[in-house]
Amino acid sequence: MEVLSLIGSGFLVALTPLNIGLLLLGCFVGTLLGALPGLGPVNGVAVLIPLTFAFGFDPTSSLILLCAVYFGCMYGGRISSILLNIPGDEPAIMTTLDGYPMAVQGQAANALAISGVASFVGATIAVIGLSLFAPVLARAAIHFGPADYFALYILAFATIGGIAGVDPRKTLLSALIGLMLATVGIDPISGVPRYTFDNFHLFDGIEPIVALVGLFAISEILLILEKSVKDRPKAIRVDRWMPQWSAIWPTRWAMLRGSGVGFVAGVLPGAGASLGSFMAYVFEKQKSNKKGTFGKGDPRGVAAPEAGNNSAAGGALIPMLSLGVPGSGTTAVLLAMLISLNVQPGPLLFERQPDLVWGLVASLYLANIALLVLNLPMIGIFTRLMMTPTWALMPVVAAITFVGVYGISNSVFDLELMVFFGVLGYVLRKLDVSLVPLVLGLLLGGDMERNLRRAMSISDGDWSILIASPISITLYVLTIGFLALSVWLAVRDHRQTKAERLTEG
Amino acid sequence: MKLRTMISVKLGAAMTAAMMVTAAPASATECIAPSNPGGGWDFTCRTIGRVLSELGLVEGNVQVTNMAGGVGAVAFAMVAAERPADEDLIVATSTVGVTQMAQGRYPAPLETMRYLAMLGADVGVIAVDNDSPIQTLAELNAAMAADPSALVTGGSSGAGGWDHIRLLMVAQQAGVSDLGAIRWVQFDGGTDAVTQMMGGQIAVVSTDMGEIAGFVESGDIRVLAVLSEEPIPAFPELPTAMSQGVNVIGYNWRGLYTGGQVSDEAYNGWVEKLETLYNSDNWQQAATSAGLVPIWRGGAEFEAFVREQAGIMEQISRDIGIIQ
Amino acid sequence: MTGLSVRLFGAAVFAIAALYTLQAGTYQITFGDVLGPSVFPVIVGIPMMILSASLVVFPTGQVEWAGRDRMWRQAAALAVFVAYVLLMEQIGFPITTAALIALIGIIMGGAPWRAVALGAVFGPGLWALFDRVLGLPLDFLGKLFG
Repeated sequence: MEVLSLIGSGFLVALTPLNIGLLLLGCFVGTLLGALPGLGPVNGVAVLIPLTFAFGFDPTSSLILLCAVYFGCMYGGRISSILLNIPGDEPAIMTTLDGYPMAVQGQAANALAISGVASFVGATIAVIGLSLFAPVLARAAIHFGPADYFALYILAFATIGGIAGVDPRKTLLSALIGLMLATVGIDPISGVPRYTFDNFHLFDGIEPIVALVGLFAISEILLILEKSVKDRPKAIRVDRWMPQWSAIWPTRWAMLRGSGVGFVAGVLPGAGASLGSFMAYVFEKQKSNKKGTFGKGDPRGVAAPEAGNNSAAGGALIPMLSLGVPGSGTTAVLLAMLISLNVQPGPLLFERQPDLVWGLVASLYLANIALLVLNLPMIGIFTRLMMTPTWALMPVVAAITFVGVYGISNSVFDLELMVFFGVLGYVLRKLDVSLVPLVLGLLLGGDMERNLRRAMSISDGDWSILIASPISITLYVLTIGFLALSVWLAVRDHRQTKAERLTEG
Repeated sequence: MKLRTMISVKLGAAMTAAMMVTAAPASATECIAPSNPGGGWDFTCRTIGRVLSELGLVEGNVQVTNMAGGVGAVAFAMVAAERPADEDLIVATSTVGVTQMAQGRYPAPLETMRYLAMLGADVGVIAVDNDSPIQTLAELNAAMAADPSALVTGGSSGAGGWDHIRLLMVAQQAGVSDLGAIRWVQFDGGTDAVTQMMGGQIAVVSTDMGEIAGFVESGDIRVLAVLSEEPIPAFPELPTAMSQGVNVIGYNWRGLYTGGQVSDEAYNGWVEKLETLYNSDNWQQAATSAGLVPIWRGGAEFEAFVREQAGIMEQISRDIGIIQ
Repeated sequence: MTGLSVRLFGAAVFAIAALYTLQAGTYQITFGDVLGPSVFPVIVGIPMMILSASLVVFPTGQVEWAGRDRMWRQAAALAVFVAYVLLMEQIGFPITTAALIALIGIIMGGAPWRAVALGAVFGPGLWALFDRVLGLPLDFLGKLFG
C-alpha cells in the first residue's frame, strides 16, 4: 500500500507542534468566520494570507493553516443557518431549509450535532477520495466540456422545483430571478456591459454574498418586526442542550449519500460546494421524502446538504492541486497563495512535492477530527445563543453583516444593494416564494451562461453540440427521469389527498 | 444580560487569540488590486506590498484592497473620481488593463492616471495538446490559412482581449485574411483553457506562460511558440515565434499606476522606490518563481511606453475588427 | 380580492421580465462571439414572463401583511439601515454602528438604555475585530472628523 506509507509520512510532516497549533487556530478562526453572516471561506483565507507571509511559515505550514480555515468555515456556515435562519455563507443556504425548522421545534442541539457529524463524514470521505484517487479523478474531470457543464446546470435547475415552497411556479420564478440578476455586469466574453445602467459599481455584477445576507438577514429583521412586541421575545424554546445519539444515527445513510453527490460536484471544477450541497439535498429529498417531512425539520434534510457541502469542499481540492484549476472562489485564493509561496499546483505537484501534498492530506484528516472535537462541545454554547433576546441578537447580527460586506468590498453601493435585497427578500417570503433558488440562480447563472456560449463557440453555432457527448446525454436522461418521477409523485399525492377527502366527506 | 456578556466574552477571547498572532500595524500605503483575490493583479499588489515592507521602503505593511470589476474599470473610475491626488495609493495594472483602455472600455481615458513602472512580464505562448497532429507554428499557420474556422482556439481572455489579440496577430502574420472566422472560446483562466484542450474540447490555446508552466514541464501540452524576443530562461528549448519567422511579441507586463493629480515629487519618489524594489533579490526571486521575466521600465520612459502600446493596441483592434 | 398581492407581484415581475427581454435585444454580437450576449437573457426572460403571467391569472396563497403600527416599525428600521449606509463613511465606523445597534434594538422592543449599552459595546468591538484583528480596514472617524 504505497498510499498508506505516503500518508504516514504526511502525518510525520503534519504532526509538529507548530503545525498542530496552526491547525487548531485555523479550525477555530474558520468556524468563527464561517458562522458570521457575510464572512465566508474566501474572506477567511484571504485575510489570513498576509499572516502566513508575516511569519514566514513554510509552504506546508501555511497551507495547513489555510486549509484548516477553509474547512472550519464550511463547518461554521451552518451554525447561523440553523439558529438564525441566516446562512453564514453560500453553501450553507440549503441547511436553512430543515435546520431552522428543527431549531424552532426545540431541536437546535440535535440539528447542530447532525450537521457537525455530517460535515465530518462528508469531509472525511472527500479526503479519503483525495488521497486515493486524486490524479485519476483529475484526469477524468478533464473530459467534462462546456456542453456537459451546461447539462449539469440544467439538471440542477430542473430539480429546483423540488426543493421548497408550495407552488412550483413560484420556486421556478425565484430561480429565474436569480439567473436574471446573474447577467448583470460586464459580460466576460464580449465585454459588453449588461443591465448596469452606466453605474460602474454594477460592472462586476452582483456579488452573491451581498444578495445572500440581504435576502436572509435584513428580511429576517423585517419579518420579526411584524410580530407585536408582546408575542416577540420568544427566545426559541430549547428542549435540550445536548444532542442525542438516537437522533444522529438514523441520518447515517443520508450523510453517506450526500457525501457521494457532493464529492462528484466538488471534483468538477466550477461546480463547487454550493451545487454540491444543493444536489445532495434535492436527491435526498427525492429519495427519502415519503411522508412530506422535508422542509419542516427533517434531520436528513440537514445531514445530506451538510455532508454534500463539506465533501464538495474537499473534492474541490483535487482539480486545484492536480490541475491548478480552481473549482471555486476559495480554492482560487488557495491557488494564488500556493503560487506566491512558490508552489506550482499542476500535474507534477504530486511527484515533485510529495511532502507538501501528503502533509496537507494528513492535516486535513487531523483538521476534520479537530473540528468535530471542537464543535460538539460548542453546541451547548451555540444553543444558548437562541436564548438571547431578539432585540439584542438581531441588531448585532445586522451590524456584523454590514461590516462583513463593507470590510471586503469597501463599497457603500454594496450596502445599499444589501438593503434593497432585504426588502426584496421580505416581499418574496411574504408571498411564499422560496429564496434559496434565487441565490442558486445568482451563484450558478454566470457559469451556466458562459458554458452555453463556450459550447456554441466551439460548435460555431450548431446547437446539436449540447447533446453530442455521452456525459451530457446521461445528464439529460437523469433530468428527464427526475422530472418524470416528480410529476408521478405529485399526481399520486394529489389522488391520495382527493381520495382522503372523498372518504372524509 | 448574562448571555450577552457571554457572547462578548467569547468575541473578546477570539480577538485576543487572534491579536496575539497578528497585531500588524496599519499603514498609510495602499495597493489596489482591481480583481478578486487570486488573480494576476492581486499577485502584483501582494508581492510588491510584501517586498516594499521587507525592504523597509514603506512604513509598516502595505494594505492590499481588492476592488474587482470590469477588468479594472471599477478601480480606475474610483481613483479618477475620489482619490486622484492620493500619494499613498498605487494600483496594479498590466497589458490586459491597457488593452481595455485602448479599446475604450474604461470610463476615462488613459491619460487620467500617472503610470509608475513595470516590474516584470509574463510571456505569451501558443500551445496545442501533445496528441495534436500540429507540430510547429508553421503547420498551425498553414492550417489556419487553409481554413480559418477549422480549429477551435481559446484562452483566458474574452473575445478581443489580450490572449485573443496575440493569437490573431500571429494569424495575421501568417496571412490569414478572415480573422473573424477563427473560432475563439473564453475560459476563466489559462489552466482552464489548457485542461479543456487536454479534454479535447479545443485545439489551440493562447495564454500566458506563468500559469500553465506545469503542463509544459509534464509534457501534456506542446508549445509551438513563445512570444518573446529571446527564449525564456525557464524553458530555453522552446522556440520563439520570431525564430520561426513570425514577428509577434506578446508580453503581459505587470506594473502600477497612481492618481493623475499626484505631485511630481511623490511620483518620482515612487519610481525610485520601485526601482530599488526591482533591483532587490526579493523581487527578482518572487517574480521568477511566479513565472515572470523581470523587466524594468519606469517613470517617463514607462509613461511613453504605455501610450505607445495603447496606440498599437488600438490599431490592432481596429485592423482585426474588434473596434470600429 | 384573494391573491391580490400575488397578482400584483406577478404583474411587477412580468413588467421587469418584459423590459429585461427587450433590453437584451439591444446587445450586439461582438467580434468572435458566436452566441452573443443577448441570447441567454432571452432564454431567461421568456419563461419568466410566462410564469409571472400565470401568477397574475391563477394566483396561489394568501398574504397577510403587517398591521399599520408594525409597518411603521419596519419603515423605521429600513430608515435606520439606509441612514447607516449613507453616514458610515462620513462619521466613521464605530459611532454609526453603535447607533445602528442601539436604534434597531429599540425598534425591536429592547429597553432603550440596554440597547444603547449594547451598541456602545459592539460598535467599537466590531471595529476592533475587523480593523485591528482581521485587517479589513474600516474608518475610525470618517471623513467629517478625519
